[in-house]
Amino acid sequence: MKVNLLWYTDPSIIKRALERFKMEFPTEKLKEHITYMFEIEEISRVTTHQLIRHRLASYDQESQRFSAASRESFVLPPSIQSKSEALKIYEDALKLTSESFERMVALGVPKEDARYVMPHAIKTKLVMTLSAYSLQHISELRTAPQAQWEIRELVTLMRDAARKATPSIWV
Amino acid sequence: MKASIVWSSPEPEKTIAIAMRRCYSTKPIEEIQSELDQKGSEYWKHLIGLALRDKSLDVVEHFCLEVLIEGLPENEAGRLAMYFPFMRFLKISQDVWLVSINARTLIEAYHTPEGKGVMSEIMAAMKKSDVGSDFLQVAFGEVAN
Repeated sequence: MKVNLLWYTDPSIIKRALERFKMEFPTEKLKEHITYMFEIEEISRVTTHQLIRHRLASYDQESQRFSAASRESFVLPPSIQSKSEALKIYEDALKLTSESFERMVALGVPKEDARYVMPHAIKTKLVMTLSAYSLQHISELRTAPQAQWEIRELVTLMRDAARKATPSIWV
Repeated sequence: MKASIVWSSPEPEKTIAIAMRRCYSTKPIEEIQSELDQKGSEYWKHLIGLALRDKSLDVVEHFCLEVLIEGLPENEAGRLAMYFPFMRFLKISQDVWLVSINARTLIEAYHTPEGKGVMSEIMAAMKKSDVGSDFLQVAFGEVAN
């Protein structure tokens, strides 16, 4: 899993612009005006399905209609990795779906239709732009113990990157 | 009414191009950025033109702006907030607002009776500050001149 913070709003720019109005604005109110753009790689489609339920954000994700390389690459959940028998079942299933995809494409089925056989474990990439307010909300929900391990890891990385870039907003 | 640009996504046209290439490329982000740098701003404009032609406005959402708007009555700000949920308003005084907006909302709101006036002011402020000039040219053509 990789999280790149591509750019963000520098809070000091916003605060400087508001200085002439001689008013104090609580950090909570400024959070809607601090924006981050992330690029995220090597997460599963299981997790992106969960992520895009958070609607106050902008997303653009690698298209399976066109991409080929990612079909070889899958996320392996630790609970499966730790059980050799489960790992064998998992690997067999992934091998079967990949082979099924390739065989259908070889028969002339368009990639956009052959991909219906592909599993949620497939790795994907996306860009995501959202406000600090939205990221805080997602963070509260998705870093909780009941959240799934992969999105918890992802959102923790995003929150840590945002906190490092804009510490005054994350007090 | 007067608008001024407080902050914008850095290199907005390249930002949109990155979002667009992310959809269709399997390459890591560093390679996408490097390729876009090599091909330059005319290529970024070309990609924006393709996205707008296909009405793929999701990619322009990544171009974000913080705008100070003076002389915007509260009822008008309220109406915009209701119609365009991606716009966010911080009230500074009676008719002064810090407004967060993305380029998709800018395009969509410009084409509505409720949004056209405010969006025109934001576009004028972008032009004055030389923010997203190529984007304005591709998205709005002669209107942006």
